[in-house]
Amino acid sequence: MDKLIIKNLTKSFDGTGVLHNVSFTVRDGEFLSILGPSGCGKTTILRILIGLESADSGEIIKDGVNITTLPAAKRKMGIVFQNYALFENMTVLRNVEYALLKSAGTKGEYSRKKAAAKAKEMLELVGLSEHLDKKPRQLSGGQQQRVAIARTLALNPDVILFDEPMSALDVDTRLSLRAELKELQKRFGTTMIYITHDQEEAYALSDRIMVMDAGVIHQLDTPHNLIDRPADDYVRNFVIRNINIKINSLIQFARLEDNK
Amino acid sequence: MRIREKWSPSTALKILLCIFWLFAIILPLIRMLSTMATVDVRAVITARKFSKALRQSLTVSFTATVIAVALSGLLSWAVARTNIRHKTILNTLITVPMLIPSISHGMGLVIILGANGWLSRFLGLEGGIYGFWGIVIGSVMYSFPVAYLMLYDVLRYEDGAPYEAAEVMGLTAQNRFFAITLPYLRKPMISVVFATFTMIVTDYGVPLMVGGKYMTLPVMMYQDVIGMLDFGKGSVIGMILLIPALIACILDMANRDKGNAAFVARPYLIKKSAVRDNIARGICIFVIVLVFLPIASFSILGFIAKYPTDMTLSLKNAAQAIHMGAIRYLKNSLIIALVVSFLGTALAIFNAYMTARSRTRLSYVLHLMSITSLAIPGIVLGLAYVMFFKSTPIYGTFAMLFLVNSMHFFASPYLMAYNTFGKINDNLENVGAAMGIGRWTIIRDVILPQAMGTILEMMSYFFINCMMTISAVSFLANVRNKPLALMITQFEGQMQLECAAFVSMLILSVNVVMKYILFVMKKRTTF
Ligand SMILES: Nc1ncnc2c1ncn2[C@@H]1O[C@H](COP(=O)(O)OP(=O)(O)O)[C@@H](O)[C@H]1O
Ligand SMILES: [Mg+2]
Repeated sequence: MDKLIIKNLTKSFDGTGVLHNVSFTVRDGEFLSILGPSGCGKTTILRILIGLESADSGEIIKDGVNITTLPAAKRKMGIVFQNYALFENMTVLRNVEYALLKSAGTKGEYSRKKAAAKAKEMLELVGLSEHLDKKPRQLSGGQQQRVAIARTLALNPDVILFDEPMSALDVDTRLSLRAELKELQKRFGTTMIYITHDQEEAYALSDRIMVMDAGVIHQLDTPHNLIDRPADDYVRNFVIRNINIKINSLIQFARLEDNK
Repeated sequence: MRIREKWSPSTALKILLCIFWLFAIILPLIRMLSTMATVDVRAVITARKFSKALRQSLTVSFTATVIAVALSGLLSWAVARTNIRHKTILNTLITVPMLIPSISHGMGLVIILGANGWLSRFLGLEGGIYGFWGIVIGSVMYSFPVAYLMLYDVLRYEDGAPYEAAEVMGLTAQNRFFAITLPYLRKPMISVVFATFTMIVTDYGVPLMVGGKYMTLPVMMYQDVIGMLDFGKGSVIGMILLIPALIACILDMANRDKGNAAFVARPYLIKKSAVRDNIARGICIFVIVLVFLPIASFSILGFIAKYPTDMTLSLKNAAQAIHMGAIRYLKNSLIIALVVSFLGTALAIFNAYMTARSRTRLSYVLHLMSITSLAIPGIVLGLAYVMFFKSTPIYGTFAMLFLVNSMHFFASPYLMAYNTFGKINDNLENVGAAMGIGRWTIIRDVILPQAMGTILEMMSYFFINCMMTISAVSFLANVRNKPLALMITQFEGQMQLECAAFVSMLILSVNVVMKYILFVMKKRTTF
């Protein structure tokens, strides 16, 4: 089943083309990562998908319905940003509660009491039960991102978009959050589209990976096929470069060990 | 990078604001400058009286600037770079002069060192310090706290890492100062010097009070306009007074955009040194005594029957001032200050939201328009307003004073809001949009609460400045809407120093109360 069908998205800013005829499909319940150098148009795709930006041409079909011109609020999608975008003046609990009470999709569905219960439940899922009454700034980066994820999941969206959600976090936090995210996705079965800089992260999380450059898609395939059967030289180099970096650091590490 | 505007409701609002600025600042200024065509500019500028006033303005302002900046540099070092205690209290005391009009500082000085000043009598000085030195001292008095605040911030946020590196390399304290501190201070120092100079060279309160026969340009402009209704000549002088303010504004923007948001790797580490701390303590005490001498003098003088002949304590001056309408004018001032603190703040928030949270080209134009008031001295704005609004219905009403004060003091609170909004997470509206929470709801529930401290600060800034300003309102006020501060000039003209002192004290009291309210409210709003 296809969750999203994206057809021929084109977008330019001030006359400079940023996306050129981008087409792809996302399957229901899939975890799809987008990889590509900075400035290649990843964020722009996400913003168009959720309706923060409109494409110059092209179509977006979700569950068989054309949502190309639908306002963001009606698309039943959630988004998680690198900088968390939490409501700093509210407690952790209130962040989720407020979203449930005010969001167009769930408004009226929740009483204050029910919203609080639901918020607690979601925050427990991301392991923040002990921090409900803290303000976001009292939490670590990883914890703040967990709040943002809980807040997004609480609204029960069909698709969640992530724009480099872990780029600001340290390695350990990334590894644990990565595992948790995969767990959550299995549990809720939500379709997720995930932008990252980190190839390893993409391999570990994704059902499929999309490799982009300069506003075009080079390959959209499983992690295995990406390495095994790169579609073109660009993808081959892209994958190999990553492997080379790994190997080089391994060699250096070995040398350091030798010199000891 | 600034992006191109897309058509949206916010575009319409931005255009609306730009039109507002056109009428509130730009057209009035053009109106004033256009009278230049009808005046013989050359005749005005080449008149001997004029060139003398220009020369004297420059000399006296230059001297006062050097002293004020040196003093505030020393003081900011003493507070920021030592381990003396009670820094918050010190900062509060040092900035008390910012709560009274410049003319009150001049008056305090007259009471101390004027012809009949208590210190001149005590020292047996003849004639007092009217003229050059009077203006210099008075100008230093009210301008150095402003320079101090700027320098204090600069020193407090200096990165400590280079100092540690220098110490490891074995540089002496003296070398560290020349290699690190001085280059670091250069840019902010230029801003401070020009801001101080502009403040002094465009002020007429102090020279009016203690200038004696020493004529400066703002006083000349004031007298030409108020006394002789010579708008043409006033405009020519006004245009000249625009020049330093314009330079200060441009320099400030140039410095602000570049390195000033420097990255602080580690805070500056203050070493232990009892000797240094004692010197610093001495400097602070000296400055605070200096600051409070004139303030205490006029506060006491306000309650002395007739100085120096009848030294009994009395409420005669209070009664006299009240008889002359002090209560009514105080009420006017409070109305103006309150209305402007709400309206001005609302407008500044609205403007800053539009410019700080969507960085389009139109936003940038709006931003520039919002800070133009930085480059317009109050007395010039006042004159421009007289000429532009004279034949409109709002001329002579309270609304006129609301408008001129909102505009005159707009830039600083606007920049406070601009900086605060710029720092608040830039994805809040996006997250709201994705969740189906409207922009206005997010502004109300998330963005404004986070900016509450700044908003209170802005309101109090407008309030305090409205209470003490004379420059922009002096040409515009009439008997019905006259603010209290203008009574000082009136009493000065009538040689009733005691009454003027009483009025100054009244203004100071109101502003101190305001500061206290701000302090209490800010304590409550830290989220
Ligand atoms: N609002 C905008 N106005 C103008 N140019 C933009 C805008 N948003 C993005 N761009 C440009 O579009 C290109 C793609 O940006 P983006 O999608 O953010 O890249 P990525 O997320 O892959 O790093 C970049 O060159 C960027 O400068
Ligand atoms: Mg991006």
